[in-house]
Formats: sequence, structure tokens, C-alpha cells
Amino acid sequence: MIWVSWRQHRSEAMACFGLLCALAVYAAVLGLSMRSSFGQNDLATCLVRSQGVGCPNSVAAFDNSFGSLVNIGFWAVLLLLPGLIGVVVGAPLLGREMELGTWRLAWSQTVPRTRWLAVKLAVVAGGLIVLGAAMTLLITWYRVPMDRLTGHFIHNAYDYEGFVFTAYILCAFGFAVLAGQLLRRSIPAMIAALVPWLAVRIFVEFALRPHFMAPLTLSQKCPCGIKGGNGMVDVPPATGHIGDLIVSSGGTGNAQLTFYQPASRFLEFQSIEAGIFVALTLAALGTAVWLLHRRAS
Amino acid sequence: MTHDDTGGSVPALRTTRLGKRYGQLWGLRDCTLSIPAGATVGLVGPNGAGKTTLLEMIIGLRKPTEGLVEVFGHAAQANTAATLARVGYTAQNHPLYPDFSVADMFHLGQAMNPSWDMALATGRTQALDIPLKRKVKTLSGGQQAQVSLAMALAKRAPLLVLDEPVASLDPVARLEFMREVMAQVAGGGPTVMIASHVVSELERLCDWLVVLTHGHVQLAGPVDDLLAGHQLLTVPRATSDADLPGVPIHRTDSDRHSSVLLRTSPAPLTAQPNPDWQAAPVSFEPLVMAYLQRPFRASDSGNRTQPTGPTTKVMSR
Repeated sequence: MIWVSWRQHRSEAMACFGLLCALAVYAAVLGLSMRSSFGQNDLATCLVRSQGVGCPNSVAAFDNSFGSLVNIGFWAVLLLLPGLIGVVVGAPLLGREMELGTWRLAWSQTVPRTRWLAVKLAVVAGGLIVLGAAMTLLITWYRVPMDRLTGHFIHNAYDYEGFVFTAYILCAFGFAVLAGQLLRRSIPAMIAALVPWLAVRIFVEFALRPHFMAPLTLSQKCPCGIKGGNGMVDVPPATGHIGDLIVSSGGTGNAQLTFYQPASRFLEFQSIEAGIFVALTLAALGTAVWLLHRRAS
Repeated sequence: MTHDDTGGSVPALRTTRLGKRYGQLWGLRDCTLSIPAGATVGLVGPNGAGKTTLLEMIIGLRKPTEGLVEVFGHAAQANTAATLARVGYTAQNHPLYPDFSVADMFHLGQAMNPSWDMALATGRTQALDIPLKRKVKTLSGGQQAQVSLAMALAKRAPLLVLDEPVASLDPVARLEFMREVMAQVAGGGPTVMIASHVVSELERLCDWLVVLTHGHVQLAGPVDDLLAGHQLLTVPRATSDADLPGVPIHRTDSDRHSSVLLRTSPAPLTAQPNPDWQAAPVSFEPLVMAYLQRPFRASDSGNRTQPTGPTTKVMSR
């Protein structure tokens, strides 16, 4: 059965590997050029010494060179990518069997169909986890210099580092497997899975993520001792510590109140969000297995 | 070689008041059959008669709405490895994975069937000059059907179910396919159930017949018994159906005479009750055609009548 799963998804695996290679080239070129630029201006030492307060020009120069390229452009492209990978791999898993009528062949061999599906799901999901982890590692590696300015909490970093990127892929995959089963067609299933996936993805990022944990509060005397820079992100942020995410700030009298998520919460946030998407994945795949098991029609 | 794993007395296939409903409509209803091991069964019926529904329930691909299917004494819908191992199956249009090579398809068969006979599979395709390295999608329809049959055979299941295996094939490919099936049957192979529109091909192949129309079994039994249980009677046109010595299945009226295909089973019509009547034996194809053309009466669906067969009582008149 493992061979069968591999043989059926071989071309998808090749395509994913090609995608990974393309990303590796992009990451290597941009990552190395960022690293060399980062080293030239002695930004590293400055960041360690003063969180970037002492070298605003270097920060601004680096940000001007790479900020929009690495952050805005990359985010726009990669927003849809995990969803596309997930639905392209997931929709045909049952949808194509229905389209071609090969379900009659597959389910009349000496393997009960629920086991057939379970093995296929395990093999393909395993492959997607490897792919997601590899892409996460590449992106994390190439972003290292940028992350030292921005921290990991801005969405350009957060959405592609840690566990969430892989969880996004899995969730789209799960939706697409179920959609393929219900619609009995691959292409409509891809669309039918991508739309709710994107809705969930955006809803979680903008409506749920800010509330995963209650922000901490920092009270400072005004005028604030630390002032942010003027690039893509403030370096350092109002808390004076790179990587903290400023949620909001407001003044009461002489005091400036800053609500923020400390950089140290990155992995907790990642775990919560990945957990949401993995739970959705399991719900979708569990439904697919259950429907196949009780399949009455 | 025997495939019967539970002793000779258990039928290869038994259905008990089997029914399948799709929404409000019954695709198959009240289907009771008992087919002995070793039989080669022809399943005939018009499109939409419920043939595929019946076959898919035998495979365990569909759940019956009511009734029971047993293959060698075991419920088919359990969908366990053991029940699946008992049936080899070629679906309508012989679905295969188009981007697999023939060798890949056989590798799949081996990976998914513990009793897989690789020598049989490759032997069949070699004999038919189908290259193992060729992609399935580049094969002709006839070759795909042969690969599909080879896969069903190589599973070495005691019951082989073929759903319209030649429907999409040209006459030559049909002939070759049927020849392959016949070679298997002749070799003391599995019990075979084959659904087809092509009545003439079934005649040569089958020793059992099931006629299905409108989701109901109209006729079922060993071909020899069925032929013996029917007569083709030529009578004066004025003769009423009620006077006939049996159940008229199909009647053709001409100017003066009527030709009636009559069910007389089980007692054959020995004496000519009327000198004006001429009796002749029935052959396979007219028998099947008569039952296929027989108008379906809605009242049939309510009746719990046994399908006609050698053990069925004469219907009282």
C-alpha cells in the first residue's frame, strides 16, 4: 500500500520537490546578499549593543534595500502558496478516483477501503509535513538577518516560520480531500477547498491571533525614552526590545501605556495557531474516513 | 483446483431479498438468488435494470438498503480483507490508472492482494502482446479490458464478477476478451458472473442465466433447465392466454396465428393438448429477449414471488 500511495502521488512529489528547489535558489541568492549587506554595516554588533538605537542609518539602509523585497513581496506570494500546495495534492486523492471510476478498482482489491484511505492519507500527509518543514527551514534561514531587525512576530516572518506554515498546508490538504470526496471532481474540489481555507487563514490571522494571549503592559513616562525608527517596522519597537510586538499604545496623563506581546511568546503563539489548523485538518480527514466507512450510496 | 473454502454445499453467491434504494427509487428490489460454485452466470438486463447495483453490492462496494448478500457463506458488505479476497472484479469501462504502466498496475495488484498470481497476470499480457512497460492510457480499449481482466484473474478469487466487460469494445476485441474468459472457465476456474448486453456472447459462455428488468429478477436458473421449462407455441390467433398450458411470457400476433413463448416449468409440455397447436423448443436468445420485452407490471414489485427456476412451483392459473 505504501508503494501504491507513492506511485500514485509520485508526480506531485516531484513537482513539490521542484518547488522546494526553486525556493532554495531564491532563498540562497537573497539570503546570502542580505547576509553580506548585514555584515558590511556592522549592524549585528549595533543590534546586540543597543537594539539598533545607536545606528538608525544602518538600520534604515538595510531596510530600504531589502524591506519591501523580503517582506511585502514575499508575503503576497506566499500567502496562497501553502493553500495551493495543500489543495493540489489533496483534491485528487479521492476526487480523481471518483472522476476516473478507479475507486471501483481500488476498493475491490484485498485492502478494506478505510485502511486504503488511512495509509494514503498517512503517506501523503507525511510527505507534506516534510515539505512544509523543509520550506520553513529555508525561509527561516534566509530571513535570519531580517528577523534580527524585525523579530518573528510580524506576519512576514510569523506566517512562514515555526509550525504554522506546515499546519496551513495540512489544513488545505484536509479540506481538499474532503471536498474531492463530496464533489467527486478534482478541479472543483481544489477551488471549493481553497476558498474556505483562505477564509479561515485570514480570519485566524486577523481576528484570533491577536487574542491568543493577553498582551503585557508597559508603562513609560512621556516623552518616551525610546523612539522607534522609521522603516517597515520600528527598530527597536516602543518596548526597546527587538522582537516584541506592539499591540497598541495609549497615553493617560503623563504615562504612555504600551500593550505588547513579548518576543519570547513566539513559540507559544505558533503552537496555538498550528493547533487550530491541525485540529481542522484532523476534523476534515476524520470526516472523510468516516464517510468512506459508512458510505451508503 | 478448488476455490470453495467452506465446503461444496455452500453457494458461491446467495442474495436474500436484496434491495437498494436511491432516494425514492429502488435500483434493485427483492432479489433472491442462489448460485452454486462453479457456475458461469450471465446477467442480462436493459440499462438501468439494476445490474451494476447488484454487482456492486456483491463486491461490497455498495451497502444494501435491505436484504443480504453472501459470498461463499460470508456477508459481502463487511468490507474486510477476507470478504474482498473472495471476489475478483472488473468494473464497467475497466477503470485503470492512466499514468500507470501495465507493470505498475500489476505491481499494485501484488501490493494489494496477498493471493496475487504475478505469473498469471504477466502471462496473459505476454500472450496478448501487451508490453508491460506501456502506459495504460496508450493502450487500446481492448488491451485495457484485457489488463483489467488479467488483474481480476490474478487476484485468484473464487468468484469473478465482470460488469459489462465488452460494452466498449470492437467486435474483434470482444471476441478475444470472451475467449480469454472462456479459457478461464474451461480450466475449472472460478465461479463467474458476467453482466452483458450481448446475449449471443453469453449463450456460448454461460450455464446459468439471470434476467433483470426494472430492478427485479425476472428469470434465474441453469440455462438447460430454463430452456426445458419453456416452449415456443404457435396457436390460432383467437386462442386466449388463459387457455394456454403455461404462463405466456411473450406473444406475437400475425394474421391468423400467434406465436407464444410459454413458461411451462417445471413439467415440460409433453402432450399436445390441441391439434391446432404447434410446439417447438426455445433457444437461448429468444428466451432472453422474451423476458427483456416482457412488460413490467407494477403489481410485481409488491409480490414476494420466487424467481423462476427449476425449484419453483408452477404458477397456478
